[in-house]
Amino acid sequence: MTQPPSQRHRFRRRFNRPAFAGPVMAVPGVLGLLLFIAIPFLTAVALSFTNLRMGSPLPTEFVGLQQYQRIFADEGFRRALINTVLFAAVMVPVQTVLALSLALLLNQELKGKAFFRTVFFMPVVFPMALVAVIWELIYAPGPNGILNSFLDLVSFGTLGPVDVLHDPALALPGIMLLSLWQGVGFQMVVLLAGLQSIPGVLYEAAAVDRAGKIQQFLHITLPQLRNALIFTALVTTILAFRVYAQVEITTRGGPVDATTTVMYETVRTVFDRQQVGQASAMTVVFFFMVLAVTLIQRALVKQEREIA
Amino acid sequence: MRRVEGQELPLDFSPLFQHISHMPVRLTTAKTAPRSLIAISDFLSITFGITPCALLVILALAGCGSESPSDAGDAATLSAWAHAGRQAERETLAAQVARFNQTNSDIRIDLTFIPEGAYNSQVQAAALAGDLPDLLEFDGPFLYNYVWQNQLRPIRGLISPETYDSLIPSMIEQGTYNGDFWSVGQFDSGLGLFADRSKLEAVGARIPTHPSEAWTVEEFEEILAKLAERDPDGQVLDLKLNYRGEWYTYAFSPALVSAGGGLIARPEYGTAEGVLDGPESIGVMSRFQRWVEEAHFVDPNVDDNAFAGGRVALSWVGHWEYDRYRETLGDNLVLLPLPDFGGGSRTGQGSWSWGVTRTCPHPEAAGAFLDFLLRDRQVLEMVAANGAVPATRGAIEQSDHYAEGKPLNLYVAQLTGGFAVPRPRTPAYPVITTVFQGTFNDILDGADPRRALERAAREITRDIADNRGYPDVEAER
Repeated sequence: MTQPPSQRHRFRRRFNRPAFAGPVMAVPGVLGLLLFIAIPFLTAVALSFTNLRMGSPLPTEFVGLQQYQRIFADEGFRRALINTVLFAAVMVPVQTVLALSLALLLNQELKGKAFFRTVFFMPVVFPMALVAVIWELIYAPGPNGILNSFLDLVSFGTLGPVDVLHDPALALPGIMLLSLWQGVGFQMVVLLAGLQSIPGVLYEAAAVDRAGKIQQFLHITLPQLRNALIFTALVTTILAFRVYAQVEITTRGGPVDATTTVMYETVRTVFDRQQVGQASAMTVVFFFMVLAVTLIQRALVKQEREIA
Repeated sequence: MRRVEGQELPLDFSPLFQHISHMPVRLTTAKTAPRSLIAISDFLSITFGITPCALLVILALAGCGSESPSDAGDAATLSAWAHAGRQAERETLAAQVARFNQTNSDIRIDLTFIPEGAYNSQVQAAALAGDLPDLLEFDGPFLYNYVWQNQLRPIRGLISPETYDSLIPSMIEQGTYNGDFWSVGQFDSGLGLFADRSKLEAVGARIPTHPSEAWTVEEFEEILAKLAERDPDGQVLDLKLNYRGEWYTYAFSPALVSAGGGLIARPEYGTAEGVLDGPESIGVMSRFQRWVEEAHFVDPNVDDNAFAGGRVALSWVGHWEYDRYRETLGDNLVLLPLPDFGGGSRTGQGSWSWGVTRTCPHPEAAGAFLDFLLRDRQVLEMVAANGAVPATRGAIEQSDHYAEGKPLNLYVAQLTGGFAVPRPRTPAYPVITTVFQGTFNDILDGADPRRALERAAREITRDIADNRGYPDVEAER
């Protein structure tokens, strides 16, 4: 035997060894992660310890933890943290349940199924800016606003005109409602796909075993939909934490911070007040908040897996 | 005035599609005008907020694009950015630029319109990327921040002495900072109360004709109450609450000054504490809150049609509504000074004006262009398009709106008689206005005026301290 073939052979064997091939194939992904996530994040961490201001001719100085002290002392930012968590805590369960109900409804054999599916999915295609403006008109104050006319009609005039977006108690629920309307179609479609992939034989078998509709739902539909549900809950969480556009358009964080969110405060800090350092501190806090939620969700999902 | 939108149909959804036009629209002829103005409010800052990083990239790219050589031979080409105001305003400016380019073979102005919703943010982003144009238009009070950031150069030596001498005092006041003259615009703004004369006469209200005769605020409140008694829904005053944004600072901070308060301690501009949260300012803001929250005098004006539609008797608004109001009310329309909150009637001033950037390679050419813009013909054309107050004495004399005895002469009396207060002339202005807008909103929504103003004053004062009192960095070097 000559040398070259065996060398080639050895090379191939070496390349095929997982220890070598794995890292090589991971390079593009890791590079992407570094470039688009790790480096920007580390930059934000570094900037959050400075007083960097956009456009300022003054030198940038190291200020230690001052930016963090400030944002936590700021009523607006504290309220933004609470609002963001509240928004996610309400939106994730409500939107998931609603999407599941819609999906179940539209998974049945009814006439005009395609039409209804399109209608419910349509708001997802609309840009949030458009949705927010439409809802601003719906929420218009005064007795002639669309919502107020409707309330007046269904309550026979007992529910007075409300000014949803300027009422500290109603503004955040108002924004939740419009976000729900815009976002629920997406989750619905994912769950609908999940429902359609459940083999019909399972239901037939259950029917033979005399399982009722509710039992079928609890013991076949839900477990079979587990992955789809986890996915939708995850996506909803991420979208809920990022709530920004509807706030900027409809309430601008008002009335009196009732609807301000972390994203909104961050954008305002950097683009209205040029405080890049302070905004960086906000994004770092935001990152750890999302990280914590993701870890909790992962832990919960793992438990489910063990049970299953 | 920074925000002059809202004059079109309330259901104009065209702004929703403006997010596509984030990229500055390059204009070489008058025909290709960008999308129409914003009807509700501030969609651009919204879309801007969604894609701040993308914007930087786009601006950088657009900047590279505009450097492409033109066929103008060895003419000095200057890039210019202007705000995309109302269509008539844009078309007029584009036509004037075209005319200038035609008559001056050695200078070429390359005009770009930028949507005004997030104008300042876009300028800041361009400055960061080193892509500022040679000639820059900006809303008056932002001048001091740009000067502090060392983006502009003085223009006193660039424009002709005749141009400088023809300016009305408020224009000189707005353009002067740190002992130099930096900016000049074709028009100033006018702010007052438009009223329905017949409704005022029905309640026996006195009709002031000069700012020195303005209603006292007590008189104003009595008139509001009387008008409300005769009004079906009791809403008799329009504060243009649908405008939001810069409008709040422009329109309502003069009331604070009239009472003896204000946004910030002048002329040192070192602190807002004791002024913005002083008893006078708290008193004024409490009145506004009472008008909205308790007395329900104020129409929310969601459709921007409160006054023109006859729902209210009084509209607290700027010059830009004159044409529309005049159309519906005819001779019943009367212009009044804003009420006197204690120290005499005070009103707003200032509008878009032009500056020359540090990086401009041909400052003399830029000066020649500004001289051209400020000749009576151009000024009169522009104010015919946007209804604003002409910035030069010569143009005022020839104007059929603003000359002595003409319907809008009150604005001139305000601007030349010391009744107009410039917004704070400090580099801290962008922060001051942002904070005040939010605070005004909160107070109208029911926040305690004292607490809200104290928080605002703290925030502004802290910004000034953070910037070491905005020292003159140039002088320090």
